[in-house]
This record gives sequence, C-alpha cells and structure tokens, in this order.
Amino acid sequence: MRPFTHFNARTVKGACALLAKYDGRAVLNAGGTDLLSTLKGENLFEYPEAVINIKAITGLDDIVERKGTLRIGALTKLSALVNTPLLNERYPALAEAARTVATPQIRNAATLGGNLCQDVRCWYYRYPRHIGGPILCARKGKGPCLAVKGDNRYHALMGAKKCFAVCPSDTAVALAALDGQISIVGKEGERRIAVTDFYHPLENSLKRGEMVTGVEMPSVEKESRQAFLKFTLRKPVDFAIVSVATVITAKGGVCVDARIALGAVAAGPVRATKAEKILVGRPVDETAAADAAEAALAGAKPLSMNAYKIEIAKTLVKRAILESL
Amino acid sequence: MADKYRFIGKVTPRKDAVDILTGRAKFLNDLKLPDMLYGKVLRSPYPHALIRKIDKEKAERLQGVCAVLTWKDVPDWKGGTPRCKRVLDQKVRFVGDAVALVAATSEEIADEALRLIDVQYEVLPHVFDMEEALKPGAPQLYEEFPGNVVTPGVPFFGPKSLKEVVMGDVDKGFTEADVITEGTYSYENIPNPLPPEAPGAIALWEEPNKVTLWVSNQASYMDKVTLFHVFNREVEVRSIGGPCGGSYGSKFMSWQVQSHAVLLSRATRKPVKVCMTKEEHLAAFTLRPGSRMAAKVGMKKDGTVTAVSGRWVIDTGYYSMTTQSQVAVGCGEVQIMVRCVNWNLKPTIVCTNRNASGIVRGFGGQELKCILIPLLSLAMEKLDIDPFEFLKKNYVKPGDGYIWRDGIWYTYRGVDYSEAMDQGAERFGWKENWKGWLKPSSVNGTKRRGVGVGVHGNADIGEDASEAYVRLHPDGSAIIFSCVTEHGTGQRTNFVKMVAEVLQVPIEKVSLSPADSLFTPYEFGPAGSRGTYAIGSAIISAAEDARRKLFELVAPRLEAAPEDLDTEDGAIFVKSNPQRKLPWKVMGIDRTCTGYGRFEPDYTLSNCMMSFVEVEVDTETGQVALVRVVNATNIGQVIDPQGLEGQLNGCLGSAGIDSALFEETVIDQGTGHTLNANMLDYKWRTFAELPQIDNVVLETPFASHRFHAVGVGEIATSPGPSAILMAASNAVGVWLHEYPVTPERVLKVLGKTAPWAKKGGAA
Amino acid sequence: MVNGRIHELEVGDQPGQVKPWDTLAHTLRETLSLTGTKVSCDHGACGACTVLLDGQAVLSCMTLAVECDGQRVTTVEGLSDPQTGRLDPLQQAFIDYTAFQCGFCTPGILMSAKALLHENPSPTEEEVKEALSGNFCRCISHYQVVKAIMAASGKEG
Repeated sequence: MRPFTHFNARTVKGACALLAKYDGRAVLNAGGTDLLSTLKGENLFEYPEAVINIKAITGLDDIVERKGTLRIGALTKLSALVNTPLLNERYPALAEAARTVATPQIRNAATLGGNLCQDVRCWYYRYPRHIGGPILCARKGKGPCLAVKGDNRYHALMGAKKCFAVCPSDTAVALAALDGQISIVGKEGERRIAVTDFYHPLENSLKRGEMVTGVEMPSVEKESRQAFLKFTLRKPVDFAIVSVATVITAKGGVCVDARIALGAVAAGPVRATKAEKILVGRPVDETAAADAAEAALAGAKPLSMNAYKIEIAKTLVKRAILESL
Repeated sequence: MADKYRFIGKVTPRKDAVDILTGRAKFLNDLKLPDMLYGKVLRSPYPHALIRKIDKEKAERLQGVCAVLTWKDVPDWKGGTPRCKRVLDQKVRFVGDAVALVAATSEEIADEALRLIDVQYEVLPHVFDMEEALKPGAPQLYEEFPGNVVTPGVPFFGPKSLKEVVMGDVDKGFTEADVITEGTYSYENIPNPLPPEAPGAIALWEEPNKVTLWVSNQASYMDKVTLFHVFNREVEVRSIGGPCGGSYGSKFMSWQVQSHAVLLSRATRKPVKVCMTKEEHLAAFTLRPGSRMAAKVGMKKDGTVTAVSGRWVIDTGYYSMTTQSQVAVGCGEVQIMVRCVNWNLKPTIVCTNRNASGIVRGFGGQELKCILIPLLSLAMEKLDIDPFEFLKKNYVKPGDGYIWRDGIWYTYRGVDYSEAMDQGAERFGWKENWKGWLKPSSVNGTKRRGVGVGVHGNADIGEDASEAYVRLHPDGSAIIFSCVTEHGTGQRTNFVKMVAEVLQVPIEKVSLSPADSLFTPYEFGPAGSRGTYAIGSAIISAAEDARRKLFELVAPRLEAAPEDLDTEDGAIFVKSNPQRKLPWKVMGIDRTCTGYGRFEPDYTLSNCMMSFVEVEVDTETGQVALVRVVNATNIGQVIDPQGLEGQLNGCLGSAGIDSALFEETVIDQGTGHTLNANMLDYKWRTFAELPQIDNVVLETPFASHRFHAVGVGEIATSPGPSAILMAASNAVGVWLHEYPVTPERVLKVLGKTAPWAKKGGAA
Repeated sequence: MVNGRIHELEVGDQPGQVKPWDTLAHTLRETLSLTGTKVSCDHGACGACTVLLDGQAVLSCMTLAVECDGQRVTTVEGLSDPQTGRLDPLQQAFIDYTAFQCGFCTPGILMSAKALLHENPSPTEEEVKEALSGNFCRCISHYQVVKAIMAASGKEG
C-alpha cells in the first residue's frame, strides 16, 4: 500500500474531528475488509493522507431492543449479527443478510457500519492501476460510465444516473425492508436518514467530517414474517447479483402489511412500493406473489447485458413473499 | 493388486507433508537472498500501440531504484513459437503487456518508480475477435504473421508435427452416413488455470554470461532449456525448482517473469525477485486457448462416425508459445476418442490483442472436445444414440491406431477401457437416469435434473524423454537425482516409493535430490500425466541399473553370479540360500554405486477418463448446480491411493468442469481490459458447494514398466465441460451450446429474457 | 504476541520496524520471517493468509499490523508444540489423509479449521465446509480436507 498517517480514535467526537481536520483526505478503518482493498487498488480518486482506526471506540457494538426500537451500533461485527439470538428470532432477515456476506474470515472482522458504507464493486471502477489502469469514470469525477457501453451484466436496473454501479451491501437491503434508519454523527451533531435515502448514484449521504454510528428500526410485529434471498453465482464469497428482503404481515392468510426491498438493482436498496400496495388486502398466494413480482420490476430499465436480472429478481420477490406463508 | 507390493499401492505419508503442514516449506516468495532487490513491471493501458517515447529519468532518480529498463535497454531476447515476442518490445499488443522493468530495494519503491515512468503511446487499431483478425485489412499484430495467422515456427514435435487431421475421403464418408449434422461451436470463455501461487522468479546474474534462477514450476529443467533459447543461446542457465504452489501446466515453458528477473539482475548485479500480483497473474499470465469451429459430421445408426470435416480456429491471444503443440495433441487426442477413418479437420491459429493463451491441463484436447462433442451430440440425438454407448464404442481399442502429434501413426497397445466405463456407468446409475436426448432425468417443480457424459484421453503419458541417476550408499540408503519439483501430484514421494520398491528398502532410506538443473540430468518434467510412466520408467531403470552394479560388485564375495542375488533392507542375499547375505556396506565405505536410467518417448499407450455428471437447473433463475460426478478410469496399478484420488478430484480445478458452469475471463470488447482480474470476479468453486464425487479406478496391468502403471492426472479436467453442457441441455430440453452455462444463458433459451443486445464483454 | 511469543515492534521505516501501512501478513512474513502464512490474492478474497487473531480466523492481508497491538496472533507455525515439535492433531490428520496437494493454500485452511474446532469441537461436515468456505484451493484437496478435519475432531468422515 502507499503510505498514510495512522491514527487511533478513542471517541466518536475524536474521529469526527480528525475527519474534519483532513477535510476529505482521511478515511475511517473499522474491519478493514473493504477499505484495505480500495487502498491497495487505489480506487478512490485521491489516495487518502490519513487512516483513522475506530475499532477502539467503545459503546458502538451494542444490539438493544427497547421501547419499540431496535438499535445496533455501527461497530457490531457481522459475525455478531449472525449469532445473536435476538436477531435470529425477531429480525431474521437481517441475521440472514449478514450471514450471506462474503466469508467467515471477513465476517469475523467486518462491521455493520462498514458493510453499509463499503464502496461499489463495479469492475471498471475497481480496475487496478498496475495492469494498465486506472480507468477513470464518472464516479471518480472524470468521464462517462464505461459500463453503459461495456460489460454491464452486474450493473443497475433502476434509478441510475451518471454512475451505474449497484449498492453491494446485503444488510442495507434487509434494513430497508425493516424501515431502518442510519444514525450519523458529525460537526452539526447527530442526524438520522432512512436507509433508502442514504445512497445516491455517485456517493452516499455522508458529509465531510461525518461518520455512521449505528442503525435503528421500529420493532417488528410478532405476526410478521421475514425473508432474505440473495442470488449469486456461487455460495458464498460472491456479492449479490440480485437480492430481496421482505417483511410481510398476514392475518388469516390475508396480507395486512408488506415491505419489499430489492438489492443490487440500483445505487441503494429500493423499496418496491407499488408491489407492496398490490399485496395489501390480498390473500398471500402464488398469484398475488407473481403480481407483486411484476410490479416490483415494472420500473426496470435494463442496460445491454443485465436484463436477465429482471427475471431473477421477479423470482426472488415471488419466493420471498411465499416464504412468509 | 496392492498386496504384491511393499509400498506401491499402499497409503504412505508424503515426504514433504510435515514441511507443508508446519509452514516450513519454502515457496518462491518465501525465499530471500542477501542484498536482494524487488522487480516490478510497467504494463500497457492499450491493447495495441507503439511506444513513441519513454522517459525514465525521474524513476531512475528515485532513491532505492537500482535499474529501469525499457525496450531500448535490453538485448534482442525473444520467446514464443515462432520466437517473435521480444521480452520488451517497442510495440505493445494487449492491455497489460510489459513496457518497462524496475528493480528497487523494496516493492513499494519499485511500485513508486513505475508511476514516474512517462510513456507516450501511438495508439493503433486493435482486433479482439479471432475471425475479424483473419479478415483482410484487420490490424496486424506482427510482421511475421500476415493475416494474423500464427505460423508453425520450429515445430516441437519434429518435421511432421501434426497440424491437422486429414485422412481418408470425407466426401465418401458423408455418403455413407445415416445422418449429417453441421454447425458452429465455440469454447472461448478463456478460463484461467489459476494456481494459487502467482508466477515469480528470483535471478542471480554472474558475469560474464551465467545466471542462476529460483523458479516456481512443475518442470524446472525446462526453464533452463526454454530460457537458453530465449536468450539466444548466449547465457548459461541454472534453474532451481522448489515447491510449486500449483501450475496445472500454466507455468511450464513460461519465460517472461524469469526473463524480467534475469534482465534486472544483469543490470544491477544483484539477486532480483519478481513476483506477479494476483491481478497480473489473471490479466497477463496464461489463459486457455479460445476455440471456434464450423464443422460437419456424418454418423451411422450404430454410432460409427463416417466423416468429420471442419475448420477449427484457435485464438492464442497476443502470441503463441505452445498453441501449435496444443493443436497437434488435440488433433491426436480426437482420434483416440473417435475412431473415424475420414477426416478433414483444419486448424488455423490466430493472434489477437488480448492476453495470451498457453498450456493448461487438457492441452488442446479439452478445447477440441468441448466443441466437437456438442456437434456429435446433435447427430446422436437425431439417431437416438445413447452418448455413453457412443463414447464407449468409439474410444480407441488395442490394435487401433492414430496419428499422434509427431505426424506418425501409432498402434495402441494399452488396455480396453470399456470395462472401466461400464463400471463408471453403473456407479453413476447411467441407465436409470438417461431418459433420452433433451429429456430431464427428473423434474421437481421448477427444478429439473439432467445427466451428461464426456471422455478424454492422452497418448502423451509416455511423451518426451527423462533421465535419472540413482546412487546407493554403503549405509543402505539411496538418493535419486531427478529434476522434478513438487507441484501437487505427490510424485516426488511416488518416485521414492518406486525406488524403495525396487531396492526393497524402507521409504525413509530413499530421498530425492533438489530439482537443480546443475546436477540433475535431462528431465522434461511431470506434465501430460507422464510422471508415472515416463519419469517413473527412467527412475526405475536407474534404480535397477544401480542394483545391478551393486550385485556385480558383491557377487564374488558371496560366491554367486549377480543374477542369483537379491536385496532386502540393505542386505544382499543369495536367492537360493538367503542365509548367505552381506550388508551394502561391503561395497566399501569409500564407494557409492550409481545407476543411470533413461526413458525414450513412447506414444503407443493412452490413458482415459470418463466423467458422468448430473446437474440441477432452476428454471426460474437459470442457475445450474452440479450435483454429482462419477469419474471412471483404469490406470494399471495405483502407486499412491490418496494421491490418485486428489488428481481425479482435480476435475473441479484448473479450468475444467467449472469452465462450463461459471469460469470465464471477461474482457471488455471495446477497450481490451480484463475486467475480472481478481479473486472475487473470477469465479472459483468454494468448499460450500462441493458436488458428490465418486472415482471408479480399475487396475488392469499396462505394458508400461515394472509396476504396470500409467498416469492420469492431466486429463482429469477435460471430460467434464462438454458433459455439463449435455446435462444442462437435457435438463431444460433445449440445446445449450455456450460456455459457461450462466443463468443468463439458461433464461435465454427458456425464452425468459432477451439475448444480449450487443457483446459488452467476452463472447 | 505471535504464537505465544511477545514481539515488541516499533513503528517506523527502518528495517525491522513496522510501517503504519504494513499489513499483518507483511509483518509476519517479512519482519518476523514467519513465511508459513501465504499471500495469494492480497485483497481478502482467497483465505490463503488466514491467521487467528484472539482465536478468530481473520485475513492477515486485510489487517493493519499497527492495529494488532496487544492482540494474540496464531499462525501455522504456532500449531505444533514449540518445545517438542509435536504436531497438532489437525496437522497429523492432514498428513494421514493427504489432505493437500501443492500445499500453498494449506496453512490458511489449517487456521480456518483450527478456529472452527476451537469454537465447535464436534462439527458436522456441513459446518466444516461452511467454515472453510472462504478458503480457495485449486488442486481440489477439499474432499480429503473435510475427511481429515472430521477425523481430527473425533468423528470419521
């Protein structure tokens, strides 16, 4: 790796202060499982001057459900999300999403905050310098997106503008279906933003000097059923080609609440609100699931090579809904 | 079978086991020499360009940099067949081609120096598609190759090196056929053999013209031979091969990373280590050849193939080192699979502006089978012929012949593999599961299963020459001098077993020298499954020679003729009166006894592996999962049961079966960048998705050597890919002909998604 | 602490010192000469560099050495007894089953297996495969590896 200055932050305030001081030229290191790769690959348009270790900050790895809200600290390891009984019992979509991330070694180090903030996997963006790169592109601030004319088999189906990479985070998809919000701390104090609003085609919502401190979501209804399905070429290791998270509540076989999130189809997880509306009030069966699946993907605008993702996404939506039976 | 031997056929621990499992085994990048420098390569961003200007001044001035070399600074050293690829050239021919070399006191400084080299390119038009490259007016990669057709060069296999399969009368053959099918088929996903250890080398130059190289290779003696020619026969090369972290053919006859290290050592007079990163390994080392064939076959109702004619175009990337040899062997191997008397199969090798293809397990035969079997399947389907029966009937039988890679006709004298194939079919349950062409073997909701079968065999199990010495010592021990490295097959221990068996001494008493070309005789290397028969024969012969010499020495002391003697556990005794015995020590403590053995090539034996596969297709997502595999073979005599099993299980590795499921090198068809040059985007099989594998191994003695064994490792990867296409086609009821069978392709044939509007990536 | 021995390393750019951007893999291999841990992809995607950090299997190429202050690292060299050289039962099982071919991925696999048996001394075959799912092997030693681990855990595979 190229040189950088290293700091150990002891508090959130300290970390934010350092970030502000370096004004966009410093990065935070939690699990390091994505950051070190982007540093070695020099994917960021400008190599950072400083790396700030935040693993020593205490109090950011709790999982607590209290007064109708579940809060999870940003430094919670993915392996903890997988193994915590509370999540497995009441928030299985999130536990399952964490379980499908990468590999056991990575989950032992990777954190929820890191998983949400990780950089995109577009193979043009990530193209290494030392084999005839780097490839400049819209995300790096120079030139068009090469995936549009190139190999876009893994790229976005909806809502893309300028950059067509998809959000690689699995936990983000589960959180979107759970109405999750991301807590952010910065110079101006603390704020919360819905997971579905956190991502944009060229970057996420973090302003200079801000860091993610955790997520929270409303407690789930006892009668709700959750599913998380991830389509990959291989298990595990691979990032999602398409993923779906659902939280469906049915009373007497009839759907009273539906939350459906699509992953790996856009810059962030997408709530399929049309599909959700179609389901509410209908018995949960094959036909309803198929109709919802159609509606969920109705807004898809495929590129030259990724139309197949639509069919797979529809299948996953259907199967996820039927899993709630 | 194993009972008649003391060591052969028995499970024995590998001699290098403890070193490997404790981390003590030193692979190339674990070695450090005093004063060693680190080398890095600057690589081209364009697929085709001229270097108009290189300014290396800033790089040279960086503290810690000891040498910066460009095409102007290096001698006219060239590799390839023919030798057209200059080690550093004024022209670059693929994204990733070497432009400059740097040696520095640390890897970081070398990397930093690369950034400081200023290159001005004149970009030239490029060509990526093999047929586009053949068209008049296409961008030309080399002056030596008009029309981008790669010429034969000095053929490796002699003046009559096989370039095509032409015999009999195809027109007559087609008139005899009950069915004729034709079509164009391709196997051009150019997967990567992907050994875990990236290529590298350490070079130490010695004035005036000597170099010692530490290499990672399965055949380190051939490093010496290959580089001798690359260096215009001006440099004396000593190669030392250590444990090799996988090769699967790809490191055999590699020369560029070694040449880079040598040039940098020559320029700095210090040892220089050059190790590729995994990205360089994927983007700039060895890929499988790409193949496309337009062909026609004629078949009779009884499964006889009456004629095969076709044009096989092979894409070798930016140059060829061994592609002509792979074509030659592929042409030979296809005759072993299909006993047809009328052929007109004409290959053309083309170069294009992408990373080069080279040696991988399967060596041309896998490529040809992957495109021919689908065409044969079309005919089989029309005639409703069971593919297992077809392959069994058509596989070479004792007394049949084939023109092998050297253009010479050989009569096969190995065993009939039918029994092994039958047993494989039974273990797999072929009869129960084969429901006919394009019919699933079972349906379960949206999941459909299908079965397929493939076969491969290679008469190179006795290829090329090997030499060995075996030296006996008065203390009852022995050492083998042979230039074989350990690259995963366990052969280094197997050769020890063979000698221990010949000499009847405990395995602990036999050792194998380091693979150092300075003091070992000629060794082509363990490749093409020749280790067991070819290298084994040389080593056994050397042991027998040493034994004979020992008996001649000691016979007078025992008042017997040498033929009357035998030896066990370091004591020589008279066979008819075992009480009369003397220890080896009587040879004299100031003496050793050395035998020499040599193996001459023998192309009359072929191995065989048949693979049966079952896949399950999810018709709603297009996903194809490999459920189970049965491999069947007959290898004469098992030398090491666990080693053998490892080799057969290897069907899942080295760009074999999985090249039909998810392996491919993705290259942007506009810019030439290899998009998946990393271990996430290049797909490999994980522990979590292991299909059930059953290996059926028969032991019918081969007329090979003392132990009647033949090798089988190299071919393990090759029957699988075409079998997967067959199985997936049967599962969904529609022909699938593109490799790999991705979800997108399955959904396409099922009509659930539109075909790609235009190719953004690989074909 | 590496394999039971405490190493005091200074941060700096002289030989023998650790730079802030050195990975744990680099420090183990180059500074401490423990070359048993292999670097294959160097991007956290293949598992060859797996070591134990406070008993957990992690990727040493994706860990900064300076951030391991005060933690316990175990590498493949730390599996056998430092005094007697006696092999860990896991290592012995790998020998008995020839659960390796070229051996390059083997140290990483051993460490993942060690972490598994530590947490789950009696795993099922599925659990073994799951625990090793981040380890790349190209020679296909997988089947024999699973057998060896099951044997080492006391259950024949």
